[in-house]
Amino acid sequence: MSAVQERRPVADLALAAARARRFVLRMLEASPAGHVGGALSAIDLVTALYTRALRVDPDDPRAPGRDRFLLSAGHKALAQYAVLALTGFFPPDLLDTYGATGSALGGHPDMAKLPGIEANTGALGHGLPLAVGMALGLRRSQSGSRVVVLLGDGELAEGSNWEGAAVASHHRLSNLVAIVDVNGLQIGGPTAQVMGMEPIAEKFRAFGWVVTEVDGHDLDGILDVLDRLPFAPDAPSAIIATTCKGKGITAIEGTVGSHYWKPSAAELADAVREADAAVTSLEREVAS
Amino acid sequence: MTVLVDPRATFGAAVTEVAAHDPRVAVVSTDSGGSSGFGDFARLYPERYLEVGILEQGATGVAAGLATTGAVPVFCAIAPFVTCRNFEAVRNDLGYMRQNVKVVGRNGGLTYADLGPTHHSLEDYALMRMIPGMVVLAPQDAGEIRGAVRAMLEHDGPVYMRIGGPAVPSLFADDDFEIGRARHLRTGEDLTVVSTGYVTPAVLEAVDGLASEGIAADLLGLGTVEPLDQEAILASALRTGVVVTVEEHYVRGGLGGAVSELLAEVPGVQVHRIGVRHGYVSTGRYVELLAAAGLDAPGLTSRIREIAHGGR
Repeated sequence: MSAVQERRPVADLALAAARARRFVLRMLEASPAGHVGGALSAIDLVTALYTRALRVDPDDPRAPGRDRFLLSAGHKALAQYAVLALTGFFPPDLLDTYGATGSALGGHPDMAKLPGIEANTGALGHGLPLAVGMALGLRRSQSGSRVVVLLGDGELAEGSNWEGAAVASHHRLSNLVAIVDVNGLQIGGPTAQVMGMEPIAEKFRAFGWVVTEVDGHDLDGILDVLDRLPFAPDAPSAIIATTCKGKGITAIEGTVGSHYWKPSAAELADAVREADAAVTSLEREVAS
Repeated sequence: MTVLVDPRATFGAAVTEVAAHDPRVAVVSTDSGGSSGFGDFARLYPERYLEVGILEQGATGVAAGLATTGAVPVFCAIAPFVTCRNFEAVRNDLGYMRQNVKVVGRNGGLTYADLGPTHHSLEDYALMRMIPGMVVLAPQDAGEIRGAVRAMLEHDGPVYMRIGGPAVPSLFADDDFEIGRARHLRTGEDLTVVSTGYVTPAVLEAVDGLASEGIAADLLGLGTVEPLDQEAILASALRTGVVVTVEEHYVRGGLGGAVSELLAEVPGVQVHRIGVRHGYVSTGRYVELLAAAGLDAPGLTSRIREIAHGGR
């Protein structure tokens, strides 16, 4: 995907991701509850995709030739909302409606309400089959469009994912990319204890995908991997990203409790201070 | 002499005919295309014929994803597999996402008689009509299958259509089909009979027989379960005061449910529902299962007669 956008210093990307985290907290300031942990484990990947890889135009969000990004783990919507606001799909003021009745920013994304949303996910196990259909249709249209779907590791227990994985490989969908956000925790505890799905990379390989593993918070590593897409000319690509649930808010990093976080006013204030400090520090780094 | 035709072949040929001039039309097969009458489609339009194997849940999402790129996918397989197995995908990916996918349940009702309850489909109207925005079609004869195919492919939005398996007659002179419009098949003042799907030929036979006994039924034949032709049903119900629904479906939640909901607050109208009793039907010969359920012409005749004479 390197031809699409000029490679810029990674500090820029780190700053974008820090700002995206601050936007997540801005939504929590409007309504202090949400699926924060998974949003923050995925947000570096989502920021990298939107700012460096996806061919999408915030001024023409339904352009037929665009790349598609689906958040199969729809409860991580806070990450996508933050990045869509950051990249100009809607004014950041809309973030302040999060949690309000009738807001375009609900607990799960709604394509009819918000530009840049490609699917009404939230029920787990829907994103990959949808992405497969999109990739098949786009391949037929010869638009060159790619489809990227982000899955959670807990979500992989849903059998529909493996139906989609089989179809993608059978039909050699090289324009399809699945990214698995392996934060290792789900609502009931460690994924390994609830329903162990490891070895995830080996499972995708066995289904005929070409797989690369990456640290989902190593921005240099993420960019390198995105640059190499597609991994093969005749097979779908999978990126297995090891991440940390709640990444960026020290108090909740790596905790099951971050899955659906309802911070107290003091906890939220601490998190905001931490996020603001990260933004300020990266702004200095980028300016220098 | 009545010519009987295979509903699946009729359906597949009708889709193939539309596909000749509408390049958006695509077929999604879960190893179900051949039995759904898509042999010609697969030969003529291989680039629009997508085989995904036996995975109806995933196929529903795949069809929805295809639809987002402008295709109009037709996904046809055995009725319970495209309505029960994949219900949440139909509800979210087609209904909530408003995707232009046509789901077709074939061998609906009891038509896969010998294969038993796993292959019977007696709750598909109920399930599908609960999804906001979903159109539910149940063509009543060969011509209506052709007309319904054209109508569903022209309609912008998700559609469920049920067809059977055993050969069906051509009841009507035309093959017109308007979504949501009932056919007024017989006029009478004694009671209203509302029928849907491929049970209508038997209903017609029963109603005509009863006419010779002096029982005049107002017969509405519905090729559409949702949206219900409320106007036609209300007008007839208010004239006769007694409504009988007939469907090859559980008496709960389908046409009988829809008509009961419509008429629940209408004073002076009584609704009787004829259909399959809530339970698992045994395996057996189709005609015998229909007879046991009272859904063949003799069974319908005696039940409608009883209702006309004030029985409950």
